[in-house]
Amino acid sequence: MRLSWITSAEGTAGATPLEQVLGQCPELLTRYRAFYKAIWEEGLVSRRVLELCRLRIAAIHGCDQEWSVRDACVELNDAELQALETGDRSAFGVEEQAALILAEQIPYQHHQVTDQQTTEAGHQLSTPGAVALLTALAFFDVTCRLKLTLDVAALPAQLAEPPLNRGALA
Amino acid sequence: MSTRPRFEPAIADQPADFASIMAHVPMLTSRFFDLYAEFWQRGVVAVELKEMTRIRNARITDCGY
Repeated sequence: MRLSWITSAEGTAGATPLEQVLGQCPELLTRYRAFYKAIWEEGLVSRRVLELCRLRIAAIHGCDQEWSVRDACVELNDAELQALETGDRSAFGVEEQAALILAEQIPYQHHQVTDQQTTEAGHQLSTPGAVALLTALAFFDVTCRLKLTLDVAALPAQLAEPPLNRGALA
Repeated sequence: MSTRPRFEPAIADQPADFASIMAHVPMLTSRFFDLYAEFWQRGVVAVELKEMTRIRNARITDCGY
């Protein structure tokens, strides 16, 4: 059921569902978009790993609004998408699996993240890369919660530009 | 849960806190604080109400930081 008490901001026709709602606070929308886009612009974590983690967190939340958005620059086959839905990490490489384990812990098991995991992430990605990955995971989680709470519509989208330009806001 | 910061600070001679660790990713950090500042500097929700919910959220998620 859509939440009837949230209305779209004026002048947002054609914008993505989340943009329409956040458009009620234009400056907040601008800064949210700029921040989220920076996750990709930092370039410290591969675009594929970001996409795997984003979709895995969307699957954990059952967030169709996030799951339906895809980074067109990352080709995932049907088996990989199914594995992300079910949590079968064996379809992915060792470093991807390590990132996915962290991603799976962020929504509801963040206290179970260990020193060893973060140390290994630092070794694999460098310290800046590990900080970037953990920040991205936290905000993938936040975005799912926000989309679910706002109950925005789920619109399938394949996005070739930095996906957060519109993708994460779709 | 760890009881100590898991990464070294990016700023020499600074304690390993949220800001000094996030400084490893300067662009992300700059835009994060831009966004976070917006929560506190504008809007129709009273600052007191935001602070109350922030602290309650920290307690629920057991975030001592």
